[in-house]
Amino acid sequence: MAKRNRKKNQAGFVFPAPLAVVLVVLAGFSLVYVCLKAKTEALGQEIKALESRSVQLRQDVVREQCEWASRLSPASMEQALKAHGLVMTWPGREQIVRMRADGTIDSSVIPEVRPPARYARVDRVVMND
Amino acid sequence: MTEARRTTRYIWVAVLLCIALAGLVVRLVFLHVAIQDAGRTRTVKTRTYRETLTVPRGRILDGSPSANILAANIGVKDVWVDPAPLLASNRLSSVAGQLARVLHLDEAELSTRLNTTNRHFAYVQRFVPQEKAAELARMKLPSVYFSDSMTRHYPQGQNLCHVLGFVNHDGVGSSGIEQGMESYLKGIPGLRESRLDGRRREMYDRRIREIAPREGADVVLTIDQNLQYMLEKALDATVERHHAKAAMAIIQHVKTGEILAMASRPGFDPNQFRAAGDLQKLNRAIGYVYEPGSTFKVAVIAAALDQGIVKPENVFDCENGRWLYQNKILRDYHAYGRLDVADILKKSSNIGAAKIAILMGDRQLESSLRSFMIGRRLGIDLPGEEGGILRPVAQWTAISSSRVAIGQGVAVTALQMLGVICGIANDGQIMRPYVVKEVVSANGTVLMRQVPQVLSRPIRPETAVLMRKLLARVTEEGGTGAKACVEGFTVAGKTGTAQKVVAGRYSESDYMASFAGFLPAEAPEIGMIIVVDEPQPLHTGGLVAAPVFSEIAEQAVRYLGLMPASPEQTAMYYAGRANRP
Repeated sequence: MAKRNRKKNQAGFVFPAPLAVVLVVLAGFSLVYVCLKAKTEALGQEIKALESRSVQLRQDVVREQCEWASRLSPASMEQALKAHGLVMTWPGREQIVRMRADGTIDSSVIPEVRPPARYARVDRVVMND
Repeated sequence: MTEARRTTRYIWVAVLLCIALAGLVVRLVFLHVAIQDAGRTRTVKTRTYRETLTVPRGRILDGSPSANILAANIGVKDVWVDPAPLLASNRLSSVAGQLARVLHLDEAELSTRLNTTNRHFAYVQRFVPQEKAAELARMKLPSVYFSDSMTRHYPQGQNLCHVLGFVNHDGVGSSGIEQGMESYLKGIPGLRESRLDGRRREMYDRRIREIAPREGADVVLTIDQNLQYMLEKALDATVERHHAKAAMAIIQHVKTGEILAMASRPGFDPNQFRAAGDLQKLNRAIGYVYEPGSTFKVAVIAAALDQGIVKPENVFDCENGRWLYQNKILRDYHAYGRLDVADILKKSSNIGAAKIAILMGDRQLESSLRSFMIGRRLGIDLPGEEGGILRPVAQWTAISSSRVAIGQGVAVTALQMLGVICGIANDGQIMRPYVVKEVVSANGTVLMRQVPQVLSRPIRPETAVLMRKLLARVTEEGGTGAKACVEGFTVAGKTGTAQKVVAGRYSESDYMASFAGFLPAEAPEIGMIIVVDEPQPLHTGGLVAAPVFSEIAEQAVRYLGLMPASPEQTAMYYAGRANRP
């Protein structure tokens, strides 16, 4: 039996070129779609993470503000001063110069001249004596 | 292979592929179109994610320029466990022990509480601070879970507790501003609806609906935290010094009615509101009525002067301190002979005030007192305000007017009594008191701003000026309120010492000591009332309440930057001195 000449079989089944083009284009679109989808999902996850972070940060800000408000409260300030041995007092009668709204001094309450106040007493510590 | 055979094979493969694809398409159509409603709903429900977007409650800020935070919502964690696996693995006691150690709970009690096999959820502790929750999370305890939550935090602790009120565990305001301004503070939660992926994570790109939440608005008070602290500190010291049962005080701006400070004792910490009893939670300044005693003479004498029934120089016989009227004896604290109206007020003569009231007549007296807003709520923007008690004149007896004149048989709140005093200070106009200055939304829009509102005009401005002069004499040497004076300022006010009713009779040992006044008398800026309940052993308004008034007023004028009256104001004020008795 004579061997078949393969070169003579060129006219066999040929994949239709337009169909191939359509399939390639479709495949291309699919690939782009999958890529975009993956990217969108990644962005979505990122946005969600940022949303949670934003909520968390807002809560942190409020917590810090509360903490700050607590520290600034008059009671806390007073405690802090006490802890440092500081005592806040209102000025004494003789230390006040009262000025009237029109800028004149209320002459009925002229402060007395007094020796300078001693704000601290330093005890001499005798060491190795 | 022949050409025909190859083509046949191609055709078969193509047909098979088409059949397979057609099968998938049919299945797809079946899933999307022909599926039963119940099945579709179940599928959609399983894949749908719905979340309520909670918003923090609005903040409460004080009225100072720095707008200090008085209340705010902070994020916390609820700690819970699934007890079943812990019991199955016999690790309950060790986990409970570690939880109890960190959260400072009783280990035995916690173990008992969690020892239930039929449950998969049990709270260990709610509202755990983030730091402690983080510490627990680091320990990686089995079957211990955390969920986000919010709690209301009051950074000032007990300061301003009665005005602020508190929020219950469901996040609903239950007293004070928290209750009164609930509609503004609570905000409106949002909604998010989305699809879940196979791992039950929300798919951001498949969000169906998102309704943005509306955050709670911030409420700005008229109260200044520093002034409030001064008031509360002085009140605490007074309660301790005089062994008093309770005390209350209010500072009000006379021209606008805005409350600058308001305090009641005993108080409570709103962060621990469950630990406080009902009496501690009561805002006595607005919700407790008492017989005002001599401070009430101010309203009676002002009305009599306004109606021209008496003049300051009219003299009354004060019967040497003991007067039998309608077969009932009325006494003065100190015996006086003849006193003019000005001195009746200065010396606080009961007999003199009673005689003035009798001259007025029951109907006129009742109507005048009602125009001073006695027996009616002033409409402060806080819940729980009482209206006081002033019986209709039809129910009065023959001695009622003589007793009402000295503040007996009538009951007021401290806020009402301050309203009377501030009305006189404000040229005869009683202003509606308010503690909320404005409400500001999260984006800065002002949703509500209070405007001063005149409630009543019980007396003419001329009478108010006259009354200011008469009341200023009370704090002069020889007056009952001499201890209320403030250096550099003229203080006008009135003391009150009222016997309390115990078991239907006036007690000989229990008193309400009070002082209500304003300053500077020449051009009033602030009004203040101090009421001390059952002080011991000193019990008079002049000895107990007046010094507290002086102490607070001295600090308040410095803090608020109030100036003594100018020479012109003083000259104008004393222009009528020649007419003074």
